[in-house]
Amino acid sequence: MAVTGVNSGAVTYGAATGQGASGTPRSRLRNLLSFRWVAVAVILIGWFVYYPIVDNFIVSTTDQDIFTGEVSDVGLANYDRLLHDPVVWTSLWNNSLYAVISIVFQVFGAFLLAAIIEGLGSERLRRFWRAIYFVPSAISITVTGLLFYFIYQPEIGLLDAALRSVGLDALVKPWLGDPKTAIYAIIAMSQWQGFGYSTLLFAIAIQKIPRELYDAAIIDGAGPSRRLWSITFPLTREMTGLMIIITITGAFQVFNEVMVMTAGGPNNSSQVLGTWLYQQGFIENNFGYGAAIAGVIFVVTMVTGIAQLLYTRRRRVQF
Amino acid sequence: MKRSLQAVALTVAAASAFGLSAGKSYSAGKAVEADPAAKVEYSGTLSVLTKFGLQQLSPYFIDLAKEYEKLHPGVKVELIQESDDSVKGKTKTLVASNSLTDVYFSWTGSWGGNFVRGNRAVDLSKVIGPDTDWGKSLVPAAVQAFQYNGKYYGIPLYLDAKFMGYNKQIFSKLGLSAPANFEQLLSSCDTIKKAGIEPISLGNKEAWPVVHFIGQLLAYDVPRETLERDFNPKTAKFDDPGYVEALAQFKELADRCTNGATMNGESYASALQAFSNGKSAMYYQEIIEFDQSAGPDSALKQADFGFFVLPVPAGAKGDPKAVEGAPEGYMINTASKNIPLAIDFMKFVTSKEHGQVLSAPPYGQPSATVGGASEANMSPALVDGLKVLKSASYLMPWLDTANSPRVAAAWLSSLQALSGGSMSPEQVMDQVKEAAVADAKK
Repeated sequence: MAVTGVNSGAVTYGAATGQGASGTPRSRLRNLLSFRWVAVAVILIGWFVYYPIVDNFIVSTTDQDIFTGEVSDVGLANYDRLLHDPVVWTSLWNNSLYAVISIVFQVFGAFLLAAIIEGLGSERLRRFWRAIYFVPSAISITVTGLLFYFIYQPEIGLLDAALRSVGLDALVKPWLGDPKTAIYAIIAMSQWQGFGYSTLLFAIAIQKIPRELYDAAIIDGAGPSRRLWSITFPLTREMTGLMIIITITGAFQVFNEVMVMTAGGPNNSSQVLGTWLYQQGFIENNFGYGAAIAGVIFVVTMVTGIAQLLYTRRRRVQF
Repeated sequence: MKRSLQAVALTVAAASAFGLSAGKSYSAGKAVEADPAAKVEYSGTLSVLTKFGLQQLSPYFIDLAKEYEKLHPGVKVELIQESDDSVKGKTKTLVASNSLTDVYFSWTGSWGGNFVRGNRAVDLSKVIGPDTDWGKSLVPAAVQAFQYNGKYYGIPLYLDAKFMGYNKQIFSKLGLSAPANFEQLLSSCDTIKKAGIEPISLGNKEAWPVVHFIGQLLAYDVPRETLERDFNPKTAKFDDPGYVEALAQFKELADRCTNGATMNGESYASALQAFSNGKSAMYYQEIIEFDQSAGPDSALKQADFGFFVLPVPAGAKGDPKAVEGAPEGYMINTASKNIPLAIDFMKFVTSKEHGQVLSAPPYGQPSATVGGASEANMSPALVDGLKVLKSASYLMPWLDTANSPRVAAAWLSSLQALSGGSMSPEQVMDQVKEAAVADAKK
């Protein structure tokens, strides 16, 4: 087993075959011809990935009326509005909150749970618990939203009824209707749904760790917690890193959960960038401003994506 | 390798350059006038976007489509059925992608005005105007409601208005009768609350239910001409003191008649259900919801269902005989390939016979066709509701479709804050004015 940097053993095709010299006209022609094999993919990526990004930026510098088709250039005015829009800052805060809480539960919590499940002696028991925790991830978000709406419902909701039954009446509140709790109620639902999926991924990563390492540690007198922190945790750090990045990216792209539960209310308190973008574009007819908000989401997710690339290159674990 | 990268960069740049030229892709429609003499080609597909997506309403258009296809075997009717909430987003998505259906649902007011402004609605004046055969078969005020710039663009399907439904049994047990004024309504709420019953079930998770309360109160508190001035983004001021008064009246009603701040965590459907199950004494509802509130399967039976117009507060300076409501209907897309067929289909939909089906339970949507809303088929409350509607001096349009989208959004979000207790009436009006100012600058 070794923890190495990326490409330590990689050999480029050109270097191995001695075709690296590209100065002659013949080799130039060969290079040009070789491009045709990737041309289709490049065109498709350019059209479906890069063109929309450029187009989104263009749209964000305009004010558009979808009904009349009128388009007027407004320069960077939409970005200026973005800086002064309090709902954008609320949305950014909510997205960040989503990310932080999701990392705690869906990364570190899921890691611990996966370690506990994989530490069980019986394979049947391990399968059973993996399935039990994965079930919520298989339920559609609309169904989950409706389910949790009834849990949070102030009159007949399960949560408030449970609180009342144990004498915690002071904590009873309209969870989705209170601006102070709406976003937390949505995030809690999201954790319930995403937790099992992350656990499953961590379980797979833990299964890949050679059993001999644990055997050697036991011989050396290491207890369960020592084995967890000295073997399991470092050897799953690639997955941990990946999960953190995926969780952050997902938290900034969140839309369905909020739309189904509160649509951003009450009074925009649970807006996230995705729902505020939708509100601006499809409800308020401000497609230019909506595109500027989309730009913010793009920048955040792109920076996270680059971090993911760098992280996985530098921290790859090989057995 | 370096050259390959250059080639990739070049390709991406080329694609992006194409993007630059193709970026502004919205295209406005061209003004189209319906020709009454046009021959109908009974072939092809007709797409229809309805607002009948709810389970209990959806069979209406499905049955009509089947019947029409049977009459005209060459025609296929494709339905997109949305709910009251989802139809707004769906319509705008279809407009933005230039995929609007041949026939589409529309409210009156600024919502319908958007399609007219963008030349996306066929001018139907020559086929549905008051002097035409089709026009004469419809309720004149309903046809009039879809008039823009002196031309007729909409096909009204049913009439809608807001009333306070109440449970007669609860009222009589407590010795109450339908309140004659706003203050009496509040004192009735106190009595009902003391009896351990929720006076008015109100779910405001979707934000528009409170907007409807405010709409009716504004009609009472603000003079009509001021309201209509403020519906127009170019002249809107929202400076009449009646606005703040109406909001304060609502706040008092919310405090004394509802479960207060919890309303924002409850959906309007749950609130309707609570009323229908006899758990609440009143529910502020549209006339098209009467048959959903009280029916053979609900705890609240038709005989125990009563209604009244939200009572007028003392000293109100607006119109005391105004009722909040408007007809709702359909428009025909100027880009439709078969406009005569679309018109023919809508004539079929608005026939007296189909109007009677629409007005009767389980649909309970009072038809805008003359003779369609037949007393013989309709539930008694619906018949009485229509009579009140006909005697109204002014139909106050829904605030969220009468105002521009930005102002409507300000109403929706700030009224949620008012209901939750985090904003005062003055602060709500500041938000609305701010949105109106921003709109005027556009």
